[in-house]
Parts: sequence; C-alpha cells; structure tokens
Amino acid sequence: MRRAGFALTALATALAGSPVTGNEAPSLDPAILAIEGDAEWGAYLAGECLTCHRADGLAEGIPRITGWEPDDFVTAMHAYKQNWRTHPIMQMVAGRLSDEEIAALAAYFKDLE
Amino acid sequence: MTWNRRTFLGTGAAVVAAPHVLAEGQGKPRVVVIGGGAGGATAARYIAKDSEGMIDVTLIEPTRTYFSCFFSNLYLGGFKAIDDIGHTYGALAAAHGINVVHDWAVDVDRAGRTVTLAGGGVLGYDKLILSPGIDFVDGAVEGWDISAQNRMPHAYKAGSQTELLKAQIAAMPEGGTYAMVAPPNPYRCPPGPYERISMVAHVLKASNPTAKIIVADPKPKFSKMALFEEGWANHYPGMIDWIGEEFGGGNVSVDPGAMTLTIDGDETAVDVCNVIPAMKAGRIAEIAGVTDGNWAPVNAADMSSKADPDVHVLGDASQQGDMPKSAFSANSQAKACANAVRGALTGSKVFSPRYSNTCWSLIAAGDGVKVGATYEATEEKIARVDGFISQPGESAELRQATYEESEGWYAGIIADMFG
Ligand SMILES: Cc1cc2nc3c(=O)[nH]c(=O)nc-3n(C[C@H](O)[C@H](O)[C@H](O)COP(=O)(O)OP(=O)(O)OC[C@H]3O[C@@H](n4cnc5c(N)ncnc54)[C@H](O)[C@@H]3O)c2cc1C
Repeated sequence: MRRAGFALTALATALAGSPVTGNEAPSLDPAILAIEGDAEWGAYLAGECLTCHRADGLAEGIPRITGWEPDDFVTAMHAYKQNWRTHPIMQMVAGRLSDEEIAALAAYFKDLE
Repeated sequence: MTWNRRTFLGTGAAVVAAPHVLAEGQGKPRVVVIGGGAGGATAARYIAKDSEGMIDVTLIEPTRTYFSCFFSNLYLGGFKAIDDIGHTYGALAAAHGINVVHDWAVDVDRAGRTVTLAGGGVLGYDKLILSPGIDFVDGAVEGWDISAQNRMPHAYKAGSQTELLKAQIAAMPEGGTYAMVAPPNPYRCPPGPYERISMVAHVLKASNPTAKIIVADPKPKFSKMALFEEGWANHYPGMIDWIGEEFGGGNVSVDPGAMTLTIDGDETAVDVCNVIPAMKAGRIAEIAGVTDGNWAPVNAADMSSKADPDVHVLGDASQQGDMPKSAFSANSQAKACANAVRGALTGSKVFSPRYSNTCWSLIAAGDGVKVGATYEATEEKIARVDGFISQPGESAELRQATYEESEGWYAGIIADMFG
C-alpha cells in the first residue's frame, strides 16, 4: 500500500477528529513512506510509547497502536508532527521523532499482536 | 564492557567462589534490582524480557503487593478501591523468569559487589540497580516522627497509610478540620499533595460539607497551581485554605498527642493531620554510599551512579536534573537504564536514551488535567526539551477526556511494570 500526501488529510480527520484549523494542508513526501524501518531500533523506541499504550493491544482511554499497517502508522505520526492531529502529548512525542525513528516504530508495532 | 566468558571468570570468579553467595545460573551475568516499584519493576522486566535468558535478574522487594502511590489519591476520593491499586509480582517471576525475592536489602558492598538481605542471604551482582523510592528526612516537621504516623499519617508510601488516612477522613466530625503539612522541594510527585487536597475536598463536599481544609506549605507556589486554584474555586468554594510560604506555611510544628498544628505561631486544633515531611532517597542508597546530600547523583546517559559505574539509581532516589519524581519518569529512566545494562553485559546494541513524563491529576469527578515534557541527556544532566500543560478554562469534554486518558495510562504503566 502506497499513499500520497493528500491521504493524510483523510486519515487525520478520520482518526483524530478535528484537525487544527488555519494550519497549512499537511503533506507527506512519498519518500517518507518508503523508508524501511529498523524493527530492533523500533523495539527500543517503543519503550516510550508503552508507558501509556499497551503492548497487548488492549485499549481503555488510550488508543491501540499494535498491529497497524506501517503506512497508516507513519501517516498518523506525521500528522501529529505537523500538528494536524491535536493531542498535546502526541504532538510532543512525535515532534522529536525523526522520519527514520517513526519508520522504525511502525516496523516494530506492525508485528505486535 | 562486552560480556564474555573470560571477563566472567576473571572478575567474577572470586565472588562466585565465596560460600555464602546465592548465585544460581552461574556463568550468566547477574543483575540485582533493589526495589520493585515504578523504576525497579520496569528495569527488571525489560532486562529479563529483552535479554531472553542471557542475564540472571533478581528483584528484591519486601512487599508481596505493591500499592501504587499513583492513583492512591483516587482511592481517597472514592474513585478506586484499594485492590485496584495493589499489584503482585507473580508474572515477573512466571512469565519473565525473574528471581523475585521478598526481603529487604540491608547492605551493599560495592567493592565485593554483593547485596545483603535482612534474612541473611547475600547476592552477588555484576550490575546493581537501586530504585528504593523515598524515605523521610529526620526532624523535618517539628513534633513529628515515624512513631506519630498513625495519628498523623503521611500516606506518601501507599497501602496501610492510605487506608488509615481515608478512614480518618470518614471519621471526621461534622464541620471538622483536615490539615495537610505539604513538603518542600524536591519531593515525589509535585502535583500529588494538591491532587490529594482535591480528592479530600471531593469526599468532604458530599459527606461533610461544612468541613474545612488547611494546607500549610513551605513553598511559594506549586505544580499546576493555576489549574488547582481554578478547580478549587469552582468545585469547592470556601473550603480550602492554602497557606503558602509568604504567610508562614513553612514555619510549622505539630503535637500528635493533642492533635494540634501550629502555623507561624498560631495553634489550631485539627481532626486529621496529614504530615508529608521533607524527603530523601530511600535509605539503602545512602547505605550503598551513592548519595550526595539527600539524593543519588547519576549520569544522564544511562542513570549510572556518579559514584560507581556498576550501580544505577532510578526514580525518586536519583538526582538526574529536570525530570520530576514521578512513576512515569521512573519508568522512562528504567528503560534507558535497562538498555544500557543489557548492552554492557551481553553486547546488545545500546541506543541513546529517550526520556519523557506526563502527570495527570484529578481535581473533581471528570475534571482531569495534565502536565508533561520530553527530556534529553546532556553531559551535565537530564535536560527538559519541550512540554505542555492543561489550560485553565478548558471545556468539560476535554477535562473528561483527560481523565479517561489517565485511566488508560494507569493500565498501561501497570502492564509495563508487572505484565
Ligand atoms: C499521592 C501520590 C500520588 C502520585 N501520583 C502519581 C501520578 O499520578 N503519576 C506519576 O507518574 N507518579 C505519581 N506519584 C509518584 C510515584 O509514586 C513515584 O514517583 C514512583 O513510585 C517512584 O518510583 P520508584 O521506583 O522510585 O519508587 P517506588 O515506586 O516507591 O518503589 C520503591 C520500592 O522499593 C522498595 N524498597 C525500598 N527500600 C528497599 C530495600 N532496602 N530493599 C528492597 N526494597 C526496598 C519499596 O518497598 C518500594 O516498593 C505519586 C506519588 C504519591 C505519593
């Protein structure tokens, strides 16, 4: 599955509710989606996610992040990074992740559960 | 250091040969973790899980059931049962092969790399992780010591103390007074005392609406102050009297026999007196000789002690820089430490640390707020990078969502510690 940048709008709206109005339309370079994620690195980075999100996929009050399609995962994280999705913790966490780190996380979480 | 057979025989042989050392699985590197709380349970679990049997992990923790301080205020407020905040160590032993020893560590010999238990056993280690939480500074509140904690509970180590405080609140006479002596910085959970005041007010508003709450505080301001003050004015108007440094809130003494609190020379009779004294690193850190003053200084990159590269100190006991003393912080630090320890002992890849924290607080039913930040390791300390805080005047929907998120966080961190 390959997505072009415009798909971000749909996904941001579908998954996060209201995007911040007044922001520039988000864009995602297809090259970002093409990055091969390093799952070992992802496993380490995932530690930061797993203080809140559960490795067993259960979700109460905090969304499930296991078993996602990597493209969807990467797109959602970039939507936070670009402040299209509005959650302050996720904007802060995604804000400091590099494109490679996001790809690594996507590679790790896709195979969990 | 990369672990191999030669280094093991070279440096470990003497320790292994000592007759009283309880080393099972000899030949594997050994990690001993002291304290099975937010820092220690997480570190033990990650090292055991990720090393897949290559490292022998022992966790020393005296209590069979860990009652988390986090969410203990929600228990006081009636939002949780005591069992909801109690967690056991069975899965750490059964699913992760951790040797869980329910005992106290009473001595650490860093030269010989051994830990002595109250029961008399001695454990050898290659890496030692200390996450003993806090103890109280002697004489911090005039008139109070540990013998007074039944009349004037701290409830700052959760469990029986928290149950006691809840029972005392329920037994207050109509129109009675609940007093808190708040601690000076730095202490565990900066918003903790104020979330507690909110939860006590929540209970009293329903059961004893003419009751009063007094807070004697040695600080001029406190965490999330604007949010708490707004919430107190909205939900509990006229009930809470916060006396800060400026009005002598730091000049207090108590008389547990007479049940009085004296603030800046003014004596008041109180019905409940929640004394939260000044804090220091759990005593075992001092015994291990890794403290400097009240806390244990650590290197930001891997939480290793500044006094000894083979000892790591996590969580509340550590002095690391900008992170608040919270369960979230301890859990975050534990993962960076676990990764570094595993790398040193097995040669696995060591990644640069990622530190973050978020603290949620509940002000009233469905009125949740939060504050959070990310951090990075510098030469000097763990330094804050970026952060956010809930704003006064947020919608009820957002506050409700924030509260629900805190429930999710609690389930998540408990799974990450004990799952
Ligand atoms: C009222 C309150 C509310 C809080 N709310 C939150 C919150 O909402 N979010 C948050 O992130 N944090 C919160 N905290 C803070 C949080 O509880 C602590 O920061 C966290 O528990 C620190 O983890 P730790 O591993 O350093 O210590 P602890 O979790 O206290 O664990 C230390 C363990 O070490 C054991 N131990 C001590 N000495 C020895 C020894 N000699 N040998 C063996 N074992 C030993 C103890 O029995 C204990 O189980 C709150 C704290 C309080 C008091």
